[in-house]
Amino acid sequence: MNHVIVVDLGYGDAGKGTVVDWLCSRQEGRPVRMVVRFNGGAQAAHNVVTRDGRHHAFAQFGAGTFASGVRTHLSRFVLVDPLAVAAEAAHLASLGVAGALDLLTVDRDALLATPYHQAANRARELARGVGRHGSCGMGIGETASYALAHPQDAPRAGDCAAPRLLARKLATLRDRLTGELGPLVAPPPAHICDAYRAFASRVRLVDGSYLARLLRAGPVVFEGAQGVLLDEWRGFHPYTTWSTTTFANAEQLLAEAGQQAIRLGVTRCHMTRHGPGPFVTEDPGLDLPEPHNGRNQWQGSFRTGHLDAVALRYAIEVADGVDAIALTHLDTAARHSELRICRSYQAAGRSLTRLPAGPPRDLDYQKRLTRMLLATRPVYSDPGGDWAHVIEQETGAPAVLRSHGPTAADKTASQPFGSSRAAA
Amino acid sequence: MGSGRWSTDVYDAAARFRAATGASAFGHSDGGATTVHPLLDPRDVARESRDSGEHPRSLAIAVLFDVTGSMLQVPRALQAKLPQLLGLLLRHGYAEHPQIMFGAIGDATCDRAPLQVGQFESDNRMDDDLGRILLEGGGGGQKTESYELALYFMARHTFLDCHEKRGKRGYLFIIGDEMAYPRVKRAEVRRVIGDGVEADIPLAEIVGEVRRKWDAYYILPEGASYARDRQVLRFWRNLLGQNVIELADLDAVCETIALTIGLGEAAIDLDEGLADLRDVGSLASATVSKALATIGSGRGTLVVAAPPPDLGRPGGNFRL
Repeated sequence: MNHVIVVDLGYGDAGKGTVVDWLCSRQEGRPVRMVVRFNGGAQAAHNVVTRDGRHHAFAQFGAGTFASGVRTHLSRFVLVDPLAVAAEAAHLASLGVAGALDLLTVDRDALLATPYHQAANRARELARGVGRHGSCGMGIGETASYALAHPQDAPRAGDCAAPRLLARKLATLRDRLTGELGPLVAPPPAHICDAYRAFASRVRLVDGSYLARLLRAGPVVFEGAQGVLLDEWRGFHPYTTWSTTTFANAEQLLAEAGQQAIRLGVTRCHMTRHGPGPFVTEDPGLDLPEPHNGRNQWQGSFRTGHLDAVALRYAIEVADGVDAIALTHLDTAARHSELRICRSYQAAGRSLTRLPAGPPRDLDYQKRLTRMLLATRPVYSDPGGDWAHVIEQETGAPAVLRSHGPTAADKTASQPFGSSRAAA
Repeated sequence: MGSGRWSTDVYDAAARFRAATGASAFGHSDGGATTVHPLLDPRDVARESRDSGEHPRSLAIAVLFDVTGSMLQVPRALQAKLPQLLGLLLRHGYAEHPQIMFGAIGDATCDRAPLQVGQFESDNRMDDDLGRILLEGGGGGQKTESYELALYFMARHTFLDCHEKRGKRGYLFIIGDEMAYPRVKRAEVRRVIGDGVEADIPLAEIVGEVRRKWDAYYILPEGASYARDRQVLRFWRNLLGQNVIELADLDAVCETIALTIGLGEAAIDLDEGLADLRDVGSLASATVSKALATIGSGRGTLVVAAPPPDLGRPGGNFRL
């Protein structure tokens, strides 16, 4: 198998975790050695259920961790939260995955999401009140914006091994944020320093050449976080994340090593969204099972709706295309004949089948898109039952991986991951 | 996405990283053990540094440190710092395929753990060996420990592809604060390592054997009982010439070792190496600069000469 990049084509929650787990645990082809994270941070919750019923929502560790010996690498594009790493490793240990920390490498240039960032994030969201952006409360935006404003002072993973430098950066960070927002609920720098030093002495910190070496040694799965429709530049501003959620970061890491990968887009047969923002096909009347997503204090409720082919095509366009589709939740679709597909919008009296991509990095354009979407009505049609066929028609990409349930045993595959061509 | 379910506590996290097996704790000692961990037992074993597909040109690096009582808190500090060594070497390109082994030296005349030896590893697995090292804290009060027994093991029980295939010596660092006994004792070799040797071996002879395959350094750190001790320094300079390093700040131990290797590999000169340290924000550059003053001695790029023909002679001309 070649390298694969897994990206969610919606608002997240499409099933990246289960797809990554399947890619890492399949028996055919050369075994995957490592999962690389290339965006987001500990806010991720990529659910995996093993054949024997164990469940874990992967946050910082790669969703391939249940597969024996599969490493996780947090690249320089990931926001690393050492405290979350410790807690997650402990949970994995309780599930019988001992030594997860031994399988983790972290790029020294990766930004640290600290308790100060998180406290500032929450203070700001509370101040916004009803106008919340749907932040996860994990300090992701705070971490990214501080690094943009103060690139030299932003704490990075490598600093954990340089205690005096780390202490200075943490104190500066705390002083700046409290100067702006008032006192923050967070431990003193010395205590954070102590935990981060323990992190550095336990987890292997590496530089960029490490990934290049691993990429040459065997197949790697790049696990995206969140979804293309939440992308910082291509999502519906301001209801977005501070992270590039397309294939771009992964492609950059691959290019640095002179390598290529299959671009795999993941989508459900219906749509979901956590928190506020445009959701044209939302249908509160749908009652679909959702075992692993509930209401979150910082994001608001979990929303459900019908498949939005217009948004799906937009996501594929702004992500610069996909080689193949992984289609998940086919079991839900089979049981819920009330699920529709939206192939066009009614917006300002006009019919719209394509959401045009704007110029790169034009947030005004994205804001106008948001405004338009909030006033748009979906036009539904009957999918006719064969979801894989429908998706292939709408996207022009083969649905090579089909998931009918939570475990790896519930997946069927065709080329390049299976032995036969797609039945469709 | 969107969980926050790994709600985290800074104190829990620190404890969890330290509690996890491996690098961060002298787990074996703290677990109440009083004997050498079976994986580190030097009896009837050899340690090999071999090339592999992934690491076709391995370079053997061994770091052995004195764990007797005179070293005070130094061994624990070393344990916390040494896991950074591999990353430093790779990050700066000082060595392309380093294989690192850690070990510990006690006193064969009275300790239960006179010698502990880990495996050569190309990834961070050797850090697990660090956690297995028994910190006995014993030793006698005579400013002498069993370094010679460790040197015997390194001379006759290590096998290095870098040396055997490419004629290139590995790097051996001994961190301690005392002197060696004058002879490798036959009875101790039999008891600890399991070899039958015909007679005791003079120290100078075993040092000569070691230096055929190892470029050997002695590091005397601040914070140990005999830091800056003239007698100890003179003793090791007689055996190893310029390769005796006084380390003023234990925090800089990895940087010092890494830079020494970088200089030896001619990957850098001293000024470049110190600039590397400053570039990554390391606060160790002044300490390292001082520690390596004798080795760098303002000459710029160092010439790595072939091993000397007569290695038994103290202060041999093996390095400019």
